[in-house]
Amino acid sequence: MIELYHIWKKYQGNDWALSDVSFFINPGEFTFITGPSGSGKSTLLKILYRELLPTEGQIVIDQRNILKIPDNKLYELRRSMGIVFQDFRLLFHKSVFENVAVALRILGMTGKDIRTRVFNALRMVSLQKKMWELPSRLSYGEQQRVAIARAIVNNPKIILADEPTGNLDIKLAFEIMSLFQEINEKGTTVIICTHDRELIRYFGHSILFLFKGRVLRKEQL
Amino acid sequence: MIICLTFLTLGIFLALSNNIKFLTRSVSDDQVIVFFLSETSSMETVAAIQKEMEDSRLFSRIRLVNREEALAAFKTKFPDLESVLQNLNRNPFPSSLEATFSRDSLNTAAGRDLVERMRTREGISDIQYNREWIERMRTFDRLIRAVGFFLGGILIFASFFIISNVIKLNVLARKNEIAILRLVGATNWFIRIPFVMEGVFLGLLGGVLAVFLLWLVTALFPLYLGSSPGVIGELIQFRFLSVSQILALLVSGSLIGFLGSFSSLSKFLKI
Repeated sequence: MIELYHIWKKYQGNDWALSDVSFFINPGEFTFITGPSGSGKSTLLKILYRELLPTEGQIVIDQRNILKIPDNKLYELRRSMGIVFQDFRLLFHKSVFENVAVALRILGMTGKDIRTRVFNALRMVSLQKKMWELPSRLSYGEQQRVAIARAIVNNPKIILADEPTGNLDIKLAFEIMSLFQEINEKGTTVIICTHDRELIRYFGHSILFLFKGRVLRKEQL
Repeated sequence: MIICLTFLTLGIFLALSNNIKFLTRSVSDDQVIVFFLSETSSMETVAAIQKEMEDSRLFSRIRLVNREEALAAFKTKFPDLESVLQNLNRNPFPSSLEATFSRDSLNTAAGRDLVERMRTREGISDIQYNREWIERMRTFDRLIRAVGFFLGGILIFASFFIISNVIKLNVLARKNEIAILRLVGATNWFIRIPFVMEGVFLGLLGGVLAVFLLWLVTALFPLYLGSSPGVIGELIQFRFLSVSQILALLVSGSLIGFLGSFSSLSKFLKI
């Protein structure tokens, strides 16, 4: 269960990026967070994985107030999540395989376990043939899929994705969304920020509309 | 490089100190004091002096060396100078009492008092005792060590900051990678270990290079100087470091590398 209570966020010298945002997401729910550019979608997601701290408010994930987790224990929270960053955040001097494997290496996995799981994750995003390439030699869409593979490889309880289909063609975007849906059907909570109405209409589950940092409405389709 | 120079400096001072220590020990191991007897002193006087020395219990060994023995000893030690002695047509060496201070009585007030008393005693013409020289050597050794540790300390301090900055630059260049690792759930130690290993490796490499250069100096210096006899030869002949000193240098290098890298990482692990 993800619970947000009265989240406010202000960047220095700017207006409020988030204003009194409160909502709940049940375990296993598939939620889209949508809204125009600058509505606070990415800020909200960054607060959920604690890259940013809110100015005010409380966030409880699995009965744990994540704002009280000390810096040196944040890895516990982040290991329970698979995060697809808007800017991918890949290790550009390492191969596709290593980029995905890093999510397992940090857990202490080695050898065959890593090879099997990385291969499976890359197969799910149709990149198994490019696993020894460097990310810089891949297209934006392929880089995005590497980021998705890294997010799903350790079977996290929650997946947070910031515009995960932003650089993909419509066919691939649907494939990736189907993949998220498949993962969600196995019980993983999925939260996706997107402004792609087509995808929301097609895959719509619960939708949170943000506008100028405020929750406009929450719909359950 | 700076780590290497730091430990090279420390190593040179340690080697110098080793040399002085060795020299001091070789002189002071036999804490021999020689009481030269006047030519006119009778057997009774010599026996009385010997008895007084024995009664003082300051010496572990007292030996009477007569003139012939002294002459023979000189000839053995300095065979080249035998012709000089032949020109003299007489034995110039006086009889003497050679006494060795026991370890406990070395540098005690009682020992010093006895030596002073003997200087004016009838039957003794001169006393040869190198205590002051040994004391000076020891002071010199202490000075060399102090200077070595002072300079070494400053250089260690400098190399700590240099390693720290080298690692910091490296960390800055890989700032994004560190951030990504943090965001995907890596522990601080998972991120730290490669950097710390690099720091330790740099430190150790500096230490190894310093030891190697020092070894090179100690091996090549005598070749450069040629053969220098006697005490001067002892002074300028570099002795290499002991195993424990080498280990201490290497461990210190690694430790500085460890601390330098460890401290430079902390602020990048707060994402």
